Parts: sequence; C-alpha cells; structure tokens
Amino acid sequence: MDQPLLSLDHVTLRYEHGIQALDDVSLNIAAGERICVLGPNGSGKSTLASILCGLLAPDEGTVELLGERVFDEQGIDFEAYRRVRRSLGLVFQNPDDQIVTSVVEEDIAFGPENLGVPSDEIGVRVARELHRVALDRYAKADPNNLSGGQKQRVAIAGALAMEPQVLVLDEPGALLDVRGRRGIMRVMDQLHEAGTTIVHVTHFMEEALAADRVVVLAKGRLVLEGKPAEVFSHGNKLTELGLEEPFCARLAEALRAKGVNIPWTCDEGELLASLSRTAAAGTPSKDPREVDCSTMSGGSDNPSERSESAIRSTGLTYSYGDTDAREARHPALDDVSFAIPRGSFTTIVGQTGSGKSTLVRLLCALETPDAGRLVVEGIDTSDRRRRRQLHGRIGYVMQHPERQLFAETVLEDVAYGPTNLRLPPAEIERRCANALAQVGLTGREQASPFHLSGGQQRLCALAGILAMEPDVLVLDEPMAGLDPHGRTQLRDIIARINAQGTTVVQVTHSMNDAATSQQVIVLNEGKLLMQGAPEEVFTADTRDALHTSGLGLPDALTWALRLEANGLAGLGSPLTLGALVDALVAEASPAPEPEEVSARGL
Amino acid sequence: MAFRISLGSYVPADSVLHRLDPRSKIVCGLAIMVSVFFIRTPLQLAFGWLVALGLVLMSHLPTGKVLSSIKPVIMVLLVLSVFNLLLVNTGTTLVAAGPLRITTGGLWAAVNYSLRLVVAVIAATLILLTTTPTQLTDAFDALMSPLTRIGLPGHEIAMVFSLMLRFIPTIADEASAILDAQTARGGALAEGSLVDRVRSVIPIVIALLASSLRHANGLSRALDARCYEGGATRSHWHPLELHARDGVAVAFTCVYVVALLALGGL
Repeated sequence: MDQPLLSLDHVTLRYEHGIQALDDVSLNIAAGERICVLGPNGSGKSTLASILCGLLAPDEGTVELLGERVFDEQGIDFEAYRRVRRSLGLVFQNPDDQIVTSVVEEDIAFGPENLGVPSDEIGVRVARELHRVALDRYAKADPNNLSGGQKQRVAIAGALAMEPQVLVLDEPGALLDVRGRRGIMRVMDQLHEAGTTIVHVTHFMEEALAADRVVVLAKGRLVLEGKPAEVFSHGNKLTELGLEEPFCARLAEALRAKGVNIPWTCDEGELLASLSRTAAAGTPSKDPREVDCSTMSGGSDNPSERSESAIRSTGLTYSYGDTDAREARHPALDDVSFAIPRGSFTTIVGQTGSGKSTLVRLLCALETPDAGRLVVEGIDTSDRRRRRQLHGRIGYVMQHPERQLFAETVLEDVAYGPTNLRLPPAEIERRCANALAQVGLTGREQASPFHLSGGQQRLCALAGILAMEPDVLVLDEPMAGLDPHGRTQLRDIIARINAQGTTVVQVTHSMNDAATSQQVIVLNEGKLLMQGAPEEVFTADTRDALHTSGLGLPDALTWALRLEANGLAGLGSPLTLGALVDALVAEASPAPEPEEVSARGL
Repeated sequence: MAFRISLGSYVPADSVLHRLDPRSKIVCGLAIMVSVFFIRTPLQLAFGWLVALGLVLMSHLPTGKVLSSIKPVIMVLLVLSVFNLLLVNTGTTLVAAGPLRITTGGLWAAVNYSLRLVVAVIAATLILLTTTPTQLTDAFDALMSPLTRIGLPGHEIAMVFSLMLRFIPTIADEASAILDAQTARGGALAEGSLVDRVRSVIPIVIALLASSLRHANGLSRALDARCYEGGATRSHWHPLELHARDGVAVAFTCVYVVALLALGGL
C-alpha cells in the first residue's frame, strides 16, 4: 500500500482541567478512503477531526499530514501546518457559523480567494461546486434564506472549492432534518466516487454503513476499528458505549435471539434476501393473517376516547407579516384544527418550513393566531390578560434549549421559572430538587451550567421547565444533536413525565419516535395533512402522501413493506422493531424445517 | 422572527448601479448624501428628488424592496417633521392655537428637512442594495488603505464590518428564540420598577452573550479552516477595476453637485 495520506501515531491531547480528549490514538488513512468516526458525545471525535484537518496540534505523538511531518517530539512545525492546511477541508455542525458573507457564490469564493487563486479560476471553481451540491439556482441567494440542509451544502461547496485532498466532515447532519441529511450523504457518495478522501464524524449509525472503514472512539481512546460489518457485529460493546447499531443489524440480531435462523448482517440487501429465503422455505400457503395493530404500538388506548382535551385548535391560521426576503408563498399555518387529549403523548411531524415551529409558538402563547381559536387548558391563547397564567401551565422546551441557560449555578437557572411564578421559597426549593432528580442532575446544583457537557446542558434546561410543573409540556425537536445514548435517556425522561400525567406535545424529525406516540399530527406547507393514531397515519396507503411532504415511514414499517414486496406477506403494519420482530417470528415459526436450519447454520 | 430587520442587504439585479465599482459608488453616494444639506429652495429639492428617483429607476430594483428598506427611516423623519412644524416660528403665521403657532417657515422646514433627508437615505440604501458585502468590504479595504499604510488595521476593520452584516440576522433570530424561551418561563420584560426591568433583561442578555460566544468560536474555526490569514495574500474573484462608466458616474455626480449649488443661488 502507498504511504498513508494522514497518519497519527500515539497521539495524546489534554485540555485544561486535565481532561484527556485523545489518549494514545494511532490511525492511518489512505488516499481515497472513506472513514467514519463514531463515538458518544465527549469521546474526542471533534478533537480528532480538528487534528486531522490541521487546526489543532496534540501534546504528544507524531502527526503526519499529506506526507509532511507537522508534529513530533520536536514540537509543532508551524510552516508545515500552514502548507498542509491549504489542502485539508473541514465542514462542521452549525452551517450558520461557517458562512461568512451574505451571497452564496461569494461565500464559495471566499476560500479560494484566501488561497490566492487567480480570479478566472475562482469563477470556474464556484460554478463547478455549486453544481456539485445542486445549488446552481441559488448562486445569488442570501444564505440566511436557505434551509439548514442547503446552508450546509453551501459550506461543503465552500470547502470543496479549495480543492482539498481530504475533506473532514464533523457531524455535518447533526442539526438537519432527514431530507437535509440525505442531501449531504448524496454529495459524499459522489465525492467518494470521484476519489476524494473523506473523514466523516457522525452520530447516525446508518450513515456509517456507506464507509470503507469505521473507527469508534470512547473516552479519547480508539476502541473499535474495521469494516462497518465488523464493527457493528460487536453489538454489546457498542451498546455499552452508548451507541446503537443500524436498524438492519438490530433487526437481524433480534430475530436471531428469537430463534429465527438467519445469519447476522448489517447489509440491508443481504438481510432482505435471507428473510425472503426463510419465507420461501417456511409456510407454503401464505394466508395473510390480520395482525392486531393495537398490541403493537406503544400507546395502546385510543386517545380520542379520553374525556377532555388539553388543547383544542379550530381553524388556526397565522402568517408572518411582510418580513423581508423570506418569501412565504403560503401562510405559516392555514386552517389547522385538531384536539390533543389531556395526558396524551402527541407528536408533530413535517419537514422544515411546514409550520411546525409556528404551531409550537402559538401553542405556547408566544404569538396569537390571525384567525381561528386555540384553547390550551381552558384558556384562549389570544386572551392577553391570562397569558401569564397560561405560561405557568405550558412548559416550552425550545430547539437547543441549552441556549436559554444564563445563571451562575444550575440551581439558580432551574429556579428562574418558579421564582417568576412568585412561589414561596420552600416550594421553589422542592420543585427544583424534584426537577433535577427527574433529569438525573441531583448533586450538580452548584455547578455552572456552562461547565456541563452538551447532553447535561440540555437536561438542565429541561429541568428549568419541569420545575414550573407544567400541565402541558411542548418540546421542539428535543433530540436534535444528541448521541444515541443521550437520545435514549431523554426519551425515557419524557416518557416518565408523560406517565405522571403531563400532556406531552413533541415536534420531531424521527418517524420512529412519532410511531411510539399516541397521536401524530402531520403538517405540510402550513396545512394539516393528517392526524390520528400512528397506526392510522403510517400505513402502506399514506406512504406516497408522506413522501411528497418530505417525510417517510418508520423503519419497521418500511422493512415490512419491503419484505412484502419480496413475497413475505401477512406482516401487518408493525411500527416498532419489536412489533416487526414479533410479526416475522409469527410468520416464520409455523413450519420450521429442522434439516434446512442445520444446513444453513452459520 | 419578531426581530427580523430588513437591513438593506444585497438584492441581485442587472443594472449600471450593480456593475459600478464599489469604490466609485461609495464616493458618489457620499457626495450625494452630503449635498442634500445644501438644499434650501423648492427648486433644489425638486432637483434632488428627480435625481434620486432617477437612480432608483436605474437600479432595476423592485420598488417595493427600496420602499421597505427606507420605511423605518421615514417614520423617524415624520416625527422630525412634526417637531419642525411646531417649533420653527419664522415667516408669516398660518394657524395659531394657544402657544402653538404654525408659520410658513415652520411648514417649509417640516417639508424640506424631511424630504431632503429622504434623498440621502435613498442614496445610502441604493449603495447597500446594489453592492455585495464582499464588494463593500473590498471597497472599504481600498478606501482605508491610507490607514493601513500608517499601521492601522484597515483590512481587518473592513472584514469585521462585513461579518457584522452577515451575522445580524443570525443573532437577531437567536435573540428572539431566547426571548421566547424566557417569556415562556414567566420572565416578563417591561414590568415593574426600573431595577426589576434591568434584572429581567439579565436572563436574556447573558444567554444571548453565551450564544454569541458560541458563534464566535465556530466562526473562528471556520475562518481557520478556510485559510483566512488577513489581507496580504488574498486574491479576488472580482478584482476591483475602474471602468469608463466609473469615470462617467463621478463626472455626473460632480455635475449634479455643482448644478444643485447653482440652483440654490438662483
């Protein structure tokens, strides 16, 4: 093999306060390789990305980038760093921070200008990269008017226009919706084909399947390394690290645990093939048995049968005034009617710009509707005099709620809400203690909220809202940017709060999350597209309608439909992994053929 | 969203004004803006307006865009007019009611001071709407090069200015999100005594400051990653170049200023 393009040898890096960000990491990356870096929050992924793109030098070890030795026991070679950095591109999480001008094409030209590229050549590169990321039409647009996914593609084009030998992407999809992430993955596939070396840091295990090699970090150490299939076969180890395997691998594993004889795999095609084979070998006559849906979804009882609604909306309409360049061709919300039963768990889904966030702002009485009525807990949100009272009963968890933290200690921050409600000190104390216990931050009362980890900051912000003991809790994409462990933790906390009787309304990008709620509200271009129990909203019949609105089906149902297309009928409409496994087991068990099984054992 | 400000950001179009070199555009614009303070007679005012409207037409910008950009300033000017109307007491009295006297002088001051400032505002707006931030930066950079020569960071000041234009909407969105969140937690702005009000701003200001620092951190990483090292080694995609049309623009501006002054002497 040729000399590696990037090479780290026993690299260690400590931050202040003695935190070990990287601990004795050795890694070689060859030209043209596509590497995926996985790991829980705080495992050192971003630090590794910074070192690989020449923005950070370690404390110990040797770093060779593009054949130049930039760091060794003699220290940092600043000149070498300056040279190699010109050929190393970086794209990271927040697209807003990476765009430096207010015209898309000028922004893409910024990097080449810094490199001193001649002006004719810059024009060629800008046009080429705009085309590559499919933004030709937006050359003159203001990035502020683009969606998150489009902005991130501008950032990628800006990096590519510098013609880097290596492109490092540090969680480029963390703040994007499904469609935005898909767009980024498409660009990456193209680049990989064209031979660009890619280092991709991500929290989404599905995305790692496309890599040539996967590297897993934990607490600054490199703990697993290999082809995706090899790494994901260490299911237990990944779970221990707070990561999870791709859906396909989890499905295969769960089926094997139930005694279905298929080889373990994380390749979708392979699993599909072996399941179809099992089916062909199994029941010869496939009488499609109706699978009882109600036993499958998490929320069993029908919410519409419950007595009262916590929220009732009739003909809700709202549009933003003529707010400058953001052209809204339709009102943000247009004649939206629904009811949310008290104590239920409702999810709101819809792609960026569908009106989700507007609906949330109206629900929280931060805005009053132009037309229609919105009654929350018996109070009309347009009643300005009772607004204060209403704010005491609805808890609003904004997107990235850690942004609301301001106080010197965690306790002070959490007490902000209850103090505003003018509660007696003893009550405030009780509520704060309670809220912190609910999110698992007991004992951190005196810490500064700004010294908490990212995941803990979010929990602290959530505690600040729980301390107001709201009857209705509204969450706007609470899982965005969290690692799988953080997502699971937060999901459990929200479920517990809901079980205690609080009505929960959650905006989400994840159809899997929506599938486990009791009611789903689907918005598209400001209109109510669908509403109902997940079993009603997610079906084979609604797939196309959801797809045109930029949404999809839960993974389990997608798989069930795909298996059905491969001749495996009678699976019903499972919405969760567990339900899909049960349906498959039920389908496979009637006619087990012992000979066949032993012949195809691993 | 509540804070969305239309701060005359670049609107692409194909016009002479768009193609003009940003340096000559800024110099001509400044000349027009200063010249309005010499407008004293109705004839001058009419001439100034004629030229301003002509420039708007030449810019090929949607009129609505120009109007919405100057709207906030017009509001301020209207208030100013009312003061002028009531406080300037020269000339003959038209209406008198108690201590208030509206005179011909007051009426003219109210009309002239506001209307001539609108001409200046239009000139400034047209510069912002027809020039990309990069061009503005380059132009400031060039115009400030004398400063650089005496050791002041001319290029850096221009870059900071451009980044500021870029980040105003981002920070405004952030501010409105934080304001929402703290309002939902029962924090009310404008209520109670002055001390209460100041105290109620803290949760918003500190949170916004923390947010801005996060952005600053990200931005510095982005600037490093894109090899920004200050002005010296940069090239330019569209290098500033003076064309014949720039000469014509400067000449026309000179003629305009001289004509305006001459009209005042009539």
